[in-house]
Parts: sequence; C-alpha cells; structure tokens
Amino acid sequence: MIRHIIRKELLENLLSLRFVLSLLLIICLYATIGFVFVSKYTRQTDDYWKRTNENIAAFSERADQLYKLAFYEQEIWRKPRPLSLCVEGFERYLPNYFNSSLFRTQLPEVRSRSNFLLPNFCDIDWVFIISIPLSFVVLLFTYDSFCGERQAGTLRLILSGAIPRHQVFLGKYFGAAFTLAIPLLMGFLINLIIVISSDIVKLGSGEWLRIIGIALISFLYLSMFLLLGMFVSSRTAHSTNSIIILLLVWVCLVILLPRLGRIVSDMYYKSMSHAEFQKKIVENKDQIFSEMRSGKYGEKAFEFHPDRNHPSVNPPAAVRFWNAFSASVGQVYEQHHNQMLAQAFAGRNFALVSPMVIYQQASEIIAGTGLNRCASLYQQIKRYQEQLKEFIISEDQKDPDSLHILFDFNYAVDSWRAISKNPVDFDTVPKFQERDLSLGQSMKLAIWDIGLLVLFNLVFFAASFVSFLRYDVR
Amino acid sequence: MIWTITKKEFLLNLMTFKFTVGTILCIVLMSVFMPVLVNDYQMRLQEYNENVTDKQADLQTAKVYMNINMGGRYMVHRPPSILSVFSKGVENQLASSVKIETNTVPGLSARSSEVNPYLSVLPTMDISLIFKIVVSVLALLVACDVISGEREQGTLKLILSGTVARHQVLLGKLLAGQLTLLVPLTISFLVGLSILLFSPMVDLTASDWARISLIYVASVIFVSAIYNIGLFVSTLTKRPAISLIAGLFFWIVFIMVVPNAAVYFASQIAPLELEEKVDSQLELIMQERQAEVKKIREEIPGPGGNEVSNFYDDFQFYVLVCDKEGMEWRRKYHAALSPLYIKYADKLWQIEHLHFKSLLQQKQLTNNFSRISPISMYDYIMSNLADTDTASCQYFIDRAKAHREEVIDYLRLKTDRFSSASYFTQCTEADMVVYQEYLDGKILEDDFQKWKEKKIAQMIPLDLRDFPQFIYQPSVAKSFNRAIPDLALLFFIGVLFFVLSFVTFLKYDVR
Repeated sequence: MIRHIIRKELLENLLSLRFVLSLLLIICLYATIGFVFVSKYTRQTDDYWKRTNENIAAFSERADQLYKLAFYEQEIWRKPRPLSLCVEGFERYLPNYFNSSLFRTQLPEVRSRSNFLLPNFCDIDWVFIISIPLSFVVLLFTYDSFCGERQAGTLRLILSGAIPRHQVFLGKYFGAAFTLAIPLLMGFLINLIIVISSDIVKLGSGEWLRIIGIALISFLYLSMFLLLGMFVSSRTAHSTNSIIILLLVWVCLVILLPRLGRIVSDMYYKSMSHAEFQKKIVENKDQIFSEMRSGKYGEKAFEFHPDRNHPSVNPPAAVRFWNAFSASVGQVYEQHHNQMLAQAFAGRNFALVSPMVIYQQASEIIAGTGLNRCASLYQQIKRYQEQLKEFIISEDQKDPDSLHILFDFNYAVDSWRAISKNPVDFDTVPKFQERDLSLGQSMKLAIWDIGLLVLFNLVFFAASFVSFLRYDVR
Repeated sequence: MIWTITKKEFLLNLMTFKFTVGTILCIVLMSVFMPVLVNDYQMRLQEYNENVTDKQADLQTAKVYMNINMGGRYMVHRPPSILSVFSKGVENQLASSVKIETNTVPGLSARSSEVNPYLSVLPTMDISLIFKIVVSVLALLVACDVISGEREQGTLKLILSGTVARHQVLLGKLLAGQLTLLVPLTISFLVGLSILLFSPMVDLTASDWARISLIYVASVIFVSAIYNIGLFVSTLTKRPAISLIAGLFFWIVFIMVVPNAAVYFASQIAPLELEEKVDSQLELIMQERQAEVKKIREEIPGPGGNEVSNFYDDFQFYVLVCDKEGMEWRRKYHAALSPLYIKYADKLWQIEHLHFKSLLQQKQLTNNFSRISPISMYDYIMSNLADTDTASCQYFIDRAKAHREEVIDYLRLKTDRFSSASYFTQCTEADMVVYQEYLDGKILEDDFQKWKEKKIAQMIPLDLRDFPQFIYQPSVAKSFNRAIPDLALLFFIGVLFFVLSFVTFLKYDVR
C-alpha cells in the first residue's frame, strides 16, 4: 500500500506547477553554475600556478647561499579546490595569501580578483542552491501534505479504508522525497557533466566519495525541511495557515538565525582593532628596547659593526636581543591572527542554531574548503616554518666557518657569517605543500554536524508522525 | 465606494492569521535585534572615542614636527554611523581609520590588519533585513489572494455583478493592502526607534532624524512595490495557491539569485586585474623614488657631522643634540627628502586610484545589473540614507586627503619647508656648544650622560594648538541625492506593476 501512496504522490507532484517551476529553477541554476565554475576555476588555477611558480623561482634563486633561504619571505598561495564546485565556502573572501619567513608569518591577506567594495555574497554553488532555494521549494511541496488533503476531503476517504496512518505518513514522505530527488539528481548530473566534459577538473575516487558524502548530507538537510513541512501541515487545518507558518519559520531558520553568529562574535569575541594592534606592537617593541637598555640581553646588544670581532659588537647579546624582538613582534601577529580566527569560529559556532549553517559547515569540512581549511592551512605554514628552520640549522652545521647562530637581522647575519653562505641543493630544501585531510579525518570533524542533522530529522520525524496520528481528518 | 471597499478589505486583513503572525514576528524580531545592534554600535562608538583620544594624546607627545609624520603616529578615524543599525552597508568591510603622513595618500582599503577577513563567512544583520525579508514576504502573502482568492471563493463575481466598477474594486484593494502593510511596518519601526532613543550614548541630531524619516518613506515605497507585484501576479492566476507559489518564486529569485548573478556578470564584463600587476606598477614607482633618494644622498652625503638621537615609542626619534656640521646636513637632507616623498606619494596614489576606479566601475555595473530586483534597490537606498555605502566611505577618504594637505601645509609653514631645525630637533646653540666640548674631550662621559638625561627630561612637547583639525560632516542632502534615483525607480516599479494589474484585471475572468 505504501508503494501505491508513493506512486500517487509522485504522479500528483510531477504534474503540478510547483514541480515544473522547481525543475526549471534548479536545472537553470545548476547548469549556470557549471559553466561559471569552469571559467572561474580555470582562471583561479592559472593565477595560482603563476604565483606559486614565481615564488618557487625566487626561492630557488636564493639557494646559492644558505642564509638567504632563512630571510626569504615566501609567498604562499591557497590552492583552488575542485570541490569548490559543491561548496565554495566563501573562499573568495577568505585569505588566500600568506607571507611567511622563518621569523614571522604576516597576517594572511585576501589577494584575488574580488572587489572589497561589493557586499559579501556567497557564490552560487550546490550548497547555496540546496540550502536556500531548494529548502524553500521543499516546503512548497509539503505544506499541504495533510491539511490540503483534509480541506479537499480526500484524507478522510483514504483513512476510512483499512490503511493505517503510518503507511499514509510514510507514503507521503517518500513520495515528496522522490519528487524532490528528481530535479536534484538532474541538477547534479547536468552540473557534473558540464564540469567533467570541460576537462579542467580531474575528479579522483577521493573526490567522488566526497561528492557522494555532500549529496547524502544534502539529502539529510532537505529531509529535515520535508519533515518540518509535514509537521506544520499536520498541526493546521488550513493550507494557507500552514504555508504562512512555514514561510516565516523558513525565514527565521535560513535567513535570520545565521546572522546571530555575526552579532555574537562582534559583541563578545571581538579581535583587536587596527589601532590596538599597532599599539600592541609598539608596546612590545618598547618593552624589548627598554630591556635592552637595562642590559638584560648583555652589553652592546643593539650595536652593529660589519666585523664580528670588532670590540663595539657583542654577537651573542645581539642574537638574544634580535630573537627576543622578533619573537615579541611575532607573538603580537600570531595573537591577532588567532583572535580573528577565534572570532569567526565563535560566530560560526553560535550560528549552528540554524540548520543551514550546520549543513554549510558539514559540507565545507567534507569538501575541504571554507574557514576550517584556512585555519588548517595557517597551522601547516607554521609547521613548515619550523621544518625549514631545522633544515637550515642542520645544513649550517656542515660549515665550520659559520657562527651557527640564526637571528632576525639580515645584514648582521650576512656580515658576520652567522649562518653559512655555502650554496645548497634546492631539491633538498623543504618546500611548502598543503596537505588535505583524508576523507576519514574530514568525516570525523564533520561528525557532530552530521549528527545534528540526523537529530533534527529524528525530532521532526517523531513530531510529525505523532502529530499526524492525532490529526483530526474531519 | 472605494473607501467602503478599502475599509472592508482592511478590516478583513487585520483579522487574518497571516497578518497577526507577520506583525508579531516583525515586532519580536525588532525587539530582539535592535538592542543587540544598538549595543554593537555603542561598542564601536566607544572604540572610536578611545582611538581618537589615544591618537590625540599621542600627538601631544610629539617633540619635533618629524614625529607627526612618522610611522602612522597620526591617524584619523571615521565615526560609526548611528543609522548603521538600519543598514550595515559596507561600513564593516572597510577600514575605518587612515594614516595621515607625507609618504602616503589615504585610500579605501580592506587589509587584514584593518578588517578581519575571516568574518566574511558570517553574514551581517541589520534592521533593513527585517523589512526586506519578513515584511516583503508578508506583502506577498497579503497580495497573493487579493483577486484570485476572491475569485475562488466566488465573492468577486458577486461584487462585480453590482454597479461597482472594476477600477474601484482594484483601487480599494490596493489602498487596503497598503494600509494593512503599513501597520506592521510602522509599529515595528516605532518599536525599533524607541529602543534606539532610550539607549545610552545615542544622540540623534536633526540630520539623523531627517535620514530616519527618509528611511521610513523608502520602506513604505518598497513594501508598496512588493505588494503591487503580488497584486499583479494575483490578477494573472485563478487560484491563490498558484499566485502564492509564483510570487514566492520571484521573491527567491529577487532576493537570492539576482544579487549574486549581478556580481558574476559584472566580474565577467569588467574583470579586475590581479593585484600583483598593481603591486608591480607601484614597485616601479618606488624604485624610481629610491633612485632619486640615492641621488639626494650622493649630493648630500651623510650622515654629516655628529649627533645623538633619542628613540622612543617604536622608533619615534628626534635628534637630541648635534654639532654644526650635523645640523647643516640634517637641514639640507630633510629639505630635499620630504618634498620628494610627497611628490612620490601622489604618484603612487595615481596608480592606486586607477585600480580603485576599476573596482568602482565593477561595483557600479553590479549595482546596475542588480537593479532588476526591487530588493536590491531598497538595499542601496537604505545604505545611502544610513551613510554606510561606498560613497560615504569615499567621502571620509576625501576628507582625510584634504586634511593631509592641510597637515603638509602646516608642516611646511612651521618648518620653513622642512628645512628648519625644528623639524628634527630642539637642540639650541648652547646645546651644540656643550656637545662640541664633549666631542673635544673637555666633558667627561659620565657628565655628558647626566647632561643628556637632564636634556631629555626637559624636552617639551610641541605646541599644537594651531594644528589643523580633522572635520568630517556627512551631508544629508548628498545622501538623499544618491538615494533619489533608486527611490524614484522603486516608486516607478510600484506604479508600473499597479498599472499592469489594472490592465490585467480589466480582462480578468471572474467566473
């Protein structure tokens, strides 16, 4: 009997105006974003490789003298991801440029072709289409699941037979689910065909598994709205009232609640302002200078002479001073960066009251884009700095003429031969390579978000089921 | 008759479930979000006040005129707009303070050190969102069954079977719908305004009141336009369910698809250059500058003579004392170098300005494309009136640039075009004599150190009472001028859709 109900619901929906409009909207959107992605990804990849190759070329030029490698400020760029097709994760507006040397990582910057004068809209990707228009469309399919049939008088006819209510409920749920699956799967296919046939994106088995993962999470998200629609429909007697309530609930869940995160983060987790940041740097530098003047690092710590044996200089004191200076300033940069990241994460975590944000975050983690990726990239760059430093120190040990001291004063390190000036084989020099999380690790990170979506589904399923069992069909 | 129909429709609307839920939701959202937004404004205002006070205090510690000009010591800040609670615009995306120095010309920027780029994942909230989303949905809900609903119920043919003209029916329904929507709009507006007025640190001036009035008028025109669109859709369909679905589809397209698509199309038609290209052009100018600096250093080789400097506050420094030769060298050196940096600051700005113009062009194109959507138009009007749009940020920068010119003229006047000793030292003839004696060995090291410390303690800050003040007073008239075209267009859209509804209704089959 459930199959009959599903078939009936499916046919009814397929012949309705809302299905036609939804199909048109979804196919147009998916086709458009397919073409948009192809041109955008091509440009992003070209830009990325041009910049990265320039950085490597400039880095390799410095391999003629080991100490130069220590002072080279590498320009590390964030690589475009093929799965930004599914979820771009606001990467257009997130930092993609990291200037990093052995002694300090500057604050990451946004250096793309984006226009900071424009409001920050999210790119239209799979997640955008599903989280906003499609979730809205789902409500349009289910707002009159029960109350519509009750108004038409057909619900009591169905239930006056020997059909148990749970079969009617499940039949309607799966009928609506299959109806929505049709345009959704068509959209996915059209989009993937456009992207794959362009030959600019190579999707391996890992990427396919992630796409399937995102598709399953998308289903969980839409199912939640489906059950919400059925719940409200089973609580009202008129379909007009049902659509009104659902619309306003949708507006709150999808549009208003995600914005709470920004408000909370601005109020309670605000990072240093630019003026405070500058002031902190000044204070720290002052502190170091006054310590230097008090003799904390030794005598003549700030003095310099090209001859390291000149009586006016004290290289060990200079090393202590410059390392303290560099660490102190670096600490301010790192603190400011961590505060900025913490502010964003706090806002994001608070916004998880909205299922849309949960869905967005889970998809970003699976696809390897978005805020989590930026945070991971920054940590990887810091680890790479350490790795490069160890390499330079170990190579430097091979030079008996070197003082074997590394500190943040280029001219002094050069003049005093504090670090070896011997050439080094560039192939042995560690180069930065971003490491992606494995699918298992991504799933582990996303498990709470997926769990929340499952929980929402269970709650709405239970609520709508119980509500329908008690629904007055007269 | 029109008034009778209006009254009947209005009273009926007031008693509907959708009106009650919509109004309550508007009031609740306003009551929840307004205090939070006001609190956020108060925090930004406090931060602004602290920054201004700090910078004033910093400036008052300057010992020589060179200190005003060095390393971002002097900055000007843009105060947060109180009306940003209504529309955030781009205020949070752009830096709200700029350095005033001879080496750089102020410009709009959004660098990571000034604005947190990670917050771009979090959408912003302001009051216009409640009107844009909730009230516009309510307008569609009210309008969708105005004609098709009555047709479905069978009451429309009853009304028109009498002597009531169709235009009277439509006008009555239009007025009733507008009045119905005015109720939640006005009530929530008043609630928000009361919360704003009773908040500490909020002081509304006459121009703020003018803007608030215009914001209200713009919101009324916007809601009226959406209602007329819903009315038009209702006259095209026979069932309210269909008109609601069609209306909501358009709404989704207007609110989500059009703004994003506009950005995409604008970026295809007017793509931006890579920042590296701009950076390389700037690099060329800076190399040119360096070459000229090198020439100056060759013509005025130095450092000449002897000097003792004192460092404080992050490499702020002044020359404590120097000999005659040192004095001469410094005077020539600064007289030659400072104008050079000013000249090249302008050249660098030309390059940055060209890049900025391309950003503005793309933005203009985006705005033009997105004007298909009345919701986008409303957005622009709100940010114009709230003084949080790009033009108001640009005005701040223009004022900062003008102020920089005033500061440069001031420094030129006070330091005789940077050639006076007061630019870099407070050293007197008597000090130079003492220093010469020290150099000749007539004063011992310890005594000289004591003299130095006494001299540092006696240093007095500059008298800056005649220092040019930064004045920033945005004009209501200019904001209104910027908002007028969109306001007129929105009004025109409302009228257009009403005319279309009228034409369609005249032919509407009421059976």
